[in-house]
Amino acid sequence: MSFSSAVVFLWLASSRNRLRLQLQRLRRPRYLVGALVGLGYIYSIFLRRLEFGGALSSVPPGVRLFAELSLVLSALVTVFSAWALGPDRPSLTFTETEVVQLFPAPVTRSSLLHYKLVRGVLGAAVGALFASLFVGRLVSPAPGLFFLGAFLSLGTLYLHATAASFMRTRWAEAWGTRGLVARWGVLGCVLAAVGLAAYAALEAHPFPRTLSIPGVLRNWVQAVVASPGLSAVLWPARLLVAPALAQDSSAFLSAVPPVLGLAVAHYVWVRLAEVPFEESAVTQAETRTRERSQRASGGVAKGRAISSRKAPFRLSARGRPEVALIWKNLITRRRMAGGVASVLASLLLGCAIVAMMGESRFFTDTRRVLGPLGVSLAAMMAVVGPSVFRMDLRMDLPKLDLLRALPLAGWQVVGAELAASALMVGLLQLGLLTVGLLSGPGAEDPWLLTWWWPGGVALGVLLPSVSLAGLFVQNAAVVLFPAWVPADRTGSARGIEALGQRLLTLMGSLVVSLVGLLPAALAGAVVGFPLWSSLDVWALPLGAAAASAVLAGEVALGVLLLGRAFEHLDVSEDRPE
Amino acid sequence: MDFVLRVAGLEKRYGAVNAVQGLTFAVAPGEVLGLVGPNGAGKTSTLRCLAGILPPTSGRVVVAGYDLAKDAVDAKRELAFLPDEPRFFDYLTVWEHLNFTARLYGVEDWEERGKALLEEMELTGKEKALPGELSRGMKQKLSIACGFLHSPKLILLDEPLTGLDPIGIRRMKASLRRRAEEGAALVLSSHLLPLVEELCHRLLVIAGGRAMALGSLEAIRSRLSGPEGESASLEDLFVRITSGAGTEKTPP
Repeated sequence: MSFSSAVVFLWLASSRNRLRLQLQRLRRPRYLVGALVGLGYIYSIFLRRLEFGGALSSVPPGVRLFAELSLVLSALVTVFSAWALGPDRPSLTFTETEVVQLFPAPVTRSSLLHYKLVRGVLGAAVGALFASLFVGRLVSPAPGLFFLGAFLSLGTLYLHATAASFMRTRWAEAWGTRGLVARWGVLGCVLAAVGLAAYAALEAHPFPRTLSIPGVLRNWVQAVVASPGLSAVLWPARLLVAPALAQDSSAFLSAVPPVLGLAVAHYVWVRLAEVPFEESAVTQAETRTRERSQRASGGVAKGRAISSRKAPFRLSARGRPEVALIWKNLITRRRMAGGVASVLASLLLGCAIVAMMGESRFFTDTRRVLGPLGVSLAAMMAVVGPSVFRMDLRMDLPKLDLLRALPLAGWQVVGAELAASALMVGLLQLGLLTVGLLSGPGAEDPWLLTWWWPGGVALGVLLPSVSLAGLFVQNAAVVLFPAWVPADRTGSARGIEALGQRLLTLMGSLVVSLVGLLPAALAGAVVGFPLWSSLDVWALPLGAAAASAVLAGEVALGVLLLGRAFEHLDVSEDRPE
Repeated sequence: MDFVLRVAGLEKRYGAVNAVQGLTFAVAPGEVLGLVGPNGAGKTSTLRCLAGILPPTSGRVVVAGYDLAKDAVDAKRELAFLPDEPRFFDYLTVWEHLNFTARLYGVEDWEERGKALLEEMELTGKEKALPGELSRGMKQKLSIACGFLHSPKLILLDEPLTGLDPIGIRRMKASLRRRAEEGAALVLSSHLLPLVEELCHRLLVIAGGRAMALGSLEAIRSRLSGPEGESASLEDLFVRITSGAGTEKTPP
């Protein structure tokens, strides 16, 4: 059997077996329901977009221009990245299985190269399919032609990136640092030329003073990209995407030959520039496998380094054992810092939104803006926090063997796992509320001034409990539906049915959260309303305290029940030994 | 006799697959029981059930007098499970893992014990290293150090020598032997038959989830009929038992 026929067999057999496995899984009701929901989602989100003919006429010209420019700029950025970014090594990537199975096989390097090129071109076809779904309807009335054109463009870009990586490898090996300097020298010249062209275009066509007249911005963009310098810069990319943008068959046929020629030239270039890629492929495969296994065991995400910050407190060997789990999770929080980065990003985003809304006071009277901002963010954390802070069972469940072997009852493990995330979210909320309340409401409205402190105190009492309840629901989902909500980060379950399962779980979590909040709201009303006549707005914190107590009670009861479920959790259902 | 581990009618099913079927055995203090069997025999499932990781489908497991189903926490406090693939919390250093284990098991003199164990496992100087910075063998040693920290009465080991270098293997064997001499009961699963032959006092051979033979090597040998039965090596016996070649007599 030749290598090519072996590869065809491999792909066909793998596809067939995967499909068979997925169909077999549909015998189980949860996968069947998941598949139906997933299919419905895919239809509503993606397939309805295939209504090309009628939709095109309703697309505003500005959107079409934006889509066209996006394609052109994407092509240019891809070419630039191929020469500027990443290390100087062949870009061909092989999985560890491919390395183990194919590299020792009696196969020439050229065959391996073609194997990867064919895979890359198939990847380009998938990319073209998605581009057809998302962008195609905006720029072309013929989906088939758009797909073919996009496939040709993406395939050529893939060949370009491969050839560029080979050239960079050659230069690095032959000239070392001098090669790097020469490459960046050329890139610098290209960038300078592009900058000059952009400058000249903007000089000739200054940004319009007012954008209130419809079409002004679009006309300006069209004029800028049509200027001699920039049109020269954009010409190669426009040539490449021309078949995809063709409006009819004749335009397509006239646009295809240059791109086909370009693709063939790139293929010849790849063959001529070919360098040994085995060593680099082995190293990359090992790195990816290591990263994947780390993620599968609840380890660090790709590219995230662990800082060596100190433990939050000294853990004595005496005392309640579950504190060790809280201690461990707080260390994790300090050392991964991802959640803090997310919170800071949210803060920055909030500031940007305020600035974009034209709230100039943000810059001139920061203190007055901080109040509403702090309170809003604290409230927002009740929704966002449980998803951002995940140092609980969602992180540790891949290490179920380890947790189950601990001398702790199920409720102790569940409670301790919840505690660290709840502490972090709660403290953050209280901090934001403190800053917000001390800064003041930011307006002299008497109604707001009356409600500011009682409302703030009520939020301080209530929000940490709401966050705790949110955290509990998310952790409960992982324990109760381990096959639906994979705790590991590898996304082990794939396919439409897995997508549907996750959607159902998300909806279920929302429903459970809302149902859980009802008794708390009732308790708050029962306590707050009778006190209103005597305490006025200050009845609010007391009502909130009652609601918070009910929520805490619900979570405590839930922890006990979830602890029992945790003790009987058997994730081996889908992977018997 | 006071057994550290008593197992009666242990069964574990995964859907329609019977991974473990009716295992009954006991392990005394200071005894090393070797758990051997072909791939997929149910060794890891058995060990996981004994460690309280997987709930048995039926049967009873008693560790140091505590029923694993009823007094799981007390039972787990008396045992250590060392998996074939050591797993750690990525963000805790070597020393912090020992600290964490100490708190869980209430080991007050953990620092002294931890230093001695790190010394024994040749991990001295690695106290501040994170698991990601350790080699496979070092991780295995750290797993063993954490497991031994609370001086468990029952030690369950799944392929304990995986990833260790020859010197590490020699030290590990000495370490396991010492624990047994100090009174711990060991259940050791391994495909390395020479190791099993060298360390274990008794063997439990399982295949298809069932106990095929239980007893000392000599006892198993004597139970096997056939012309070469008396001089057969463990490897011969293993092949004969697990492939059904031998005519196993029913254990008393």
